[in-house]
Amino acid sequence: MEPIRSYASQEIEKDLNPIEPQKEPKFKKRKVWIPGLLLLTPILLFIFGFFVIPMLYILYLSFISTDNLGGADAVYSLKNYTQIFTDSYYLSSLWLTVKISLYSVLVSLFLGYPVAMTMAKSSARIRGYITLLIVSPLLVSIVVRNFGWYLLLLPNGTINQTLMALCIIDTPLKLLFSEIGVVIGLSNAYLPFMILSIVASLYNIDPSLDKAGAILGASPFRRFFSITLPLSIPGIVSGCILVFSLSMSAYVTPALMGGANVPVMPVVIYDQINNLLHWTFGSALSYILLATTVISVAVFTRMFEKGKFKEVFR
Amino acid sequence: MEVLKNDVEIKRTHTHLEPVQHLGSNKNDVEVKGAFKQFGSNVVLNGIDLEVKQGELLTLLGPSGCGKSTTLNLIAGFLDADQGEVYIKGNNVTKVPPYKRDLGMVFQTYSLFPHMTVYENLSFGLKLRKVGKAEQKKKISKALELVKMSGLENRYPRELSGGQRQRVAISRALVVEPELLLLDEPLSNLDAKLRHELRAEIKRLQKEIGVTTIFVTHDQEEALSMSDRVVVMNAGKIEQISTPTDIYNHPKTEFVFQFIGKSNCFEGKVSEVDKRRISVKIGDDITHVDADNIMGNDSNLKAGDEVKMYIRPEKVQIVPAEETALSLFDYHKAKISQINYLGTSWEINVLLQGKSVQVLTSSFNSSWQNGSEVYIGWSPSEVMLVKK
Repeated sequence: MEPIRSYASQEIEKDLNPIEPQKEPKFKKRKVWIPGLLLLTPILLFIFGFFVIPMLYILYLSFISTDNLGGADAVYSLKNYTQIFTDSYYLSSLWLTVKISLYSVLVSLFLGYPVAMTMAKSSARIRGYITLLIVSPLLVSIVVRNFGWYLLLLPNGTINQTLMALCIIDTPLKLLFSEIGVVIGLSNAYLPFMILSIVASLYNIDPSLDKAGAILGASPFRRFFSITLPLSIPGIVSGCILVFSLSMSAYVTPALMGGANVPVMPVVIYDQINNLLHWTFGSALSYILLATTVISVAVFTRMFEKGKFKEVFR
Repeated sequence: MEVLKNDVEIKRTHTHLEPVQHLGSNKNDVEVKGAFKQFGSNVVLNGIDLEVKQGELLTLLGPSGCGKSTTLNLIAGFLDADQGEVYIKGNNVTKVPPYKRDLGMVFQTYSLFPHMTVYENLSFGLKLRKVGKAEQKKKISKALELVKMSGLENRYPRELSGGQRQRVAISRALVVEPELLLLDEPLSNLDAKLRHELRAEIKRLQKEIGVTTIFVTHDQEEALSMSDRVVVMNAGKIEQISTPTDIYNHPKTEFVFQFIGKSNCFEGKVSEVDKRRISVKIGDDITHVDADNIMGNDSNLKAGDEVKMYIRPEKVQIVPAEETALSLFDYHKAKISQINYLGTSWEINVLLQGKSVQVLTSSFNSSWQNGSEVYIGWSPSEVMLVKK
């Protein structure tokens, strides 16, 4: 009967535990709070001044309608938004942005996961070297990198010339100024974020879980799908969110690799504001892009946190 | 899921219906032959030969780095030996990966799959063995009942205490009815009370099921209390394989004596050797040792050899006056330097020729205090000698 008694007492402990933090006197909380707030004041002021206020200003602009010449009527209306949702050009641009971002996420996930697995399994020294290799592209300006891909992807660039010399294709593939080019560029640029967040997750998995799986009779293949993969979902999710939101808002790569052929939202917004001086309409487009990103990320995260593997998020 | 179908089919070397065939291995469930393993320049296993009998609980005991975990990993298949072979139920499994060995294992860190409920953890191995749903349910509830964890099927490991987790881990290892149960320091993450409780429980379970078990621990109390036989290891070698009482009372080497239990050590010189006893001169005193009680490889002692003499604190007898000391075979005058009351006994430190000797006794004379003169003595059969 001994174990049953101890089990019961553990149950009681568990029931009592959640109450305890609430019993803590309030002044103790305040003690921690004031210096914490003081330390955070500079960054809070900075963010408020240079992020919150501009964002609110843009939001304000997006509700102002303009005449055809771009002059503001100073009339508050939803005209900008209704225009976006009734014009198929902007809707298809939004869909294109989402599509390209999803492709970039998938490409970097499939390229990144094996790298992350290799890293998680190697020694601390090797892992350091691989990390260095992975983040080293970030040291090169995105513009410079884009021109590098330019040379590779041009109709008479390295890739097309090689493929044609090998007689695999007759006419050059349209790699540059196409969706493929943008996806190549984006997934290349954001691969490090994917790899590093998956590594963090894989590295946290107790190695004896794999041993336990093996002893119970699971082949390496089965162990990957039943143990390693489910337990790395938090890393996959955060990696996907990072790459997705970065891709959604990327301007340089789509502009250089896609040009006018791939009018993703950031490119369209830039055009509206800088070239057409439609500030208010551009502001509305920005908020549509932002809302799309936030909603997609929220739905995606919630799907996993409420789904079959909710336990791995705890 | 289609791809998952090429999963392992575990080939049992026997089913419970067929008579067990031991191919020349004579009821040894596990045999390790001449295992040698090196990590870089560090020799971890230096020629290990081990036989585990059917149904016994064998403990690998030793300090950390002695090679006990390496030996277990070798049997489990997580490590390949540089040399040597492993046989399980008479089959050479040296090259067989762990997932085809059909073993059960419990780890120090519990190693329950955190994203699966208790039930799913237990059904993991059963599914791989293609056990039907209804049969799974039956086996799982039986396995949980064995460890007194019924009713917690739908909990996640996070929602269990340490002791409960280890119970589930044990039942997960047993539910697949393995050929062999491996326990890798399963109790060292638990607090003292739970450790005691689970120790008794594992012992009971092992006898109830009769599964051959190899237990790795660095805790000598655990090893002595649970095992049928104990393997004491040190520096990649086996020092002694024997029953717990034999290990404690008749250690074969100096290391075993020192590692298990407490010990007093004296340095001296052999002064005389005859058939029954060896006389040893320690300082000015002569004491006697049974001629059988020699540890180490060199058991041929002759007069003039430098030796070390070992005796356990509870084997030292302590008496207040010389008259009562006459009943002892050898006795020496000593002075009490410290008295520690331990509840059931007294731990008394005495000075014998300036050297501190620990004595553990349950008969305490109330007049004793620091500085009291006493007599200590021992029987020649309780003292062990080793050549220096």
